[in-house]
Amino acid sequence: MSEIIHDPLLRRYRSMGTGLAVIVYLYLLLPILVTIPMAFGPTNALTFPPESYSFALFEIFFSSADWLNPLFQSLKVAVATAALAMLAGVPAGYWIARHEFAGKGLVTGLIMGPMIVPHIVTALGLYLYFSYFRISGTTLSIVLGHVMVTLPFVIVIIVAGVNKLDRNLEFGAELMGAGPMRMFLTVVIPQLVPSLVSAAFFAFLLSFDEVIISLFLAGPGNVTLPVKMYTALQWELSPVIAAVSTLLTAISLLATIVAIASRKGSSVDL
Amino acid sequence: MTPTSGLRAQTIFMSPGTMIGVAIVAPSLSYVLFTSVHGPDFSLAAFDAVLTSALFRQSMVTTLYIAGLSSLLSLLLGFIVALHLAGQPARRRAFLMVLVLLPFWTSVLVKCFAFTVILGREGIINSFLSWIFATKIQIQLIFNLVGLLVGMTSYQVPLIVLPVLASLLAIDGAIYRAASIMGAKPARIFWTVTVPMSLPGVLAGLMSIFVMSLGAFVIPALLGGPRDFMLSNLVDFYNRQVLDWPKASAISVILFGIVIAFATPAALWRRRKF
Repeated sequence: MSEIIHDPLLRRYRSMGTGLAVIVYLYLLLPILVTIPMAFGPTNALTFPPESYSFALFEIFFSSADWLNPLFQSLKVAVATAALAMLAGVPAGYWIARHEFAGKGLVTGLIMGPMIVPHIVTALGLYLYFSYFRISGTTLSIVLGHVMVTLPFVIVIIVAGVNKLDRNLEFGAELMGAGPMRMFLTVVIPQLVPSLVSAAFFAFLLSFDEVIISLFLAGPGNVTLPVKMYTALQWELSPVIAAVSTLLTAISLLATIVAIASRKGSSVDL
Repeated sequence: MTPTSGLRAQTIFMSPGTMIGVAIVAPSLSYVLFTSVHGPDFSLAAFDAVLTSALFRQSMVTTLYIAGLSSLLSLLLGFIVALHLAGQPARRRAFLMVLVLLPFWTSVLVKCFAFTVILGREGIINSFLSWIFATKIQIQLIFNLVGLLVGMTSYQVPLIVLPVLASLLAIDGAIYRAASIMGAKPARIFWTVTVPMSLPGVLAGLMSIFVMSLGAFVIPALLGGPRDFMLSNLVDFYNRQVLDWPKASAISVILFGIVIAFATPAALWRRRKF
């Protein structure tokens, strides 16, 4: 945009803009830049920069059931959530993208609704509803709650992916006699792989990081890692949290890489 | 595809999603409304009690004020980043995007922990200031408005960079060249081309981060002070501590109403615009 603009002030404006932008980048990265060194610090004090470096905090994390159980619980919930959300969301996303049908607005509105409902409202509703059936406090209730809020995101990613596919390939397969199921599995699914990967990963991460619904639904025995971390942050500032944060950041980094890698295949801007 | 086989396929494709909608989404959200009016014996007592309580009114004002202020601050910071990204060659931009996407994917809990350590009484900033001035300095930067705004902007900036960047990149470079050939200076080009032409994306992004921040829960609970209770925190308070579900539900209904009141005009406007 600038090659033709000649102005003595331009260079000054540009360097001022870059300077400000660098400050904002640093501000955004600050939480990560601070937690990672502290995760390798001593076990008795939260100082930055740490006075000595070791893996002691990770050793505490990986040897205490108080932290390990929530970690496994979160992994279990996130895997189950991603699987169920994909199972429901991939076919629905394809059908919504390709077909008009009676009641489409109503059904889509119902499925996509949780996207705009504040999580606290969803969490309260799930808690009241599941309490009525006496399944509140179970792992199943947490998974169902997470499926409700992750499904809309899976569908958005799948719809965007399907919209970029060439519809004629699907017509061709059907003309050759493939039924809708066979056509979907052999023609659509293989082309959708980048969207499938990013949708599954996104569903996993949304569930893995979710705090409020788990906070309302979890019983004492099936607390997830974010709930454990939330309560830990409320009561005492243990240095172990730095190690947990670093593990969570490693997962975020993985998510960033997956998002960037799959963006080449699909247009989802996440 | 015959109509019957089409219908059968539709049942297979749509039923798992529809089942979640019918068996989980609809009943759980209706349950909030149902509880807020005391179930079958219809009564608006909970709404009445909530709307007249000073605690609720204060949380309501705080919610709108914090959401508005933090969204505007985030827009300012996000615009600086988006403008910088838009001016970079594509390859370097892809690299710099990582600096925005990584915070985007970082858990709010990690951010809250980090800012507690940075802004706390004995935190990094206070220790640094104490070291510079060689006296004990303990500025209150957390559990108040400062901490809350720092946390909120750190969460919202990555969210607004993407829509603003998209609208900046959509501006035709020829317009910049034309403006400059006609003799406009950079500052004037910024105010007469960049700002008005990116306005649709800016407003859409601003509206979406504002609506999202209305439901903020973790950040006000962990970084805000006792006076920074937002509506979500009030719902949590009534649900988990007072165990007064009609009141918790009434506040939820009101919060959802506020979200809809802001989200609907934005969605309609966006549909008309694009």
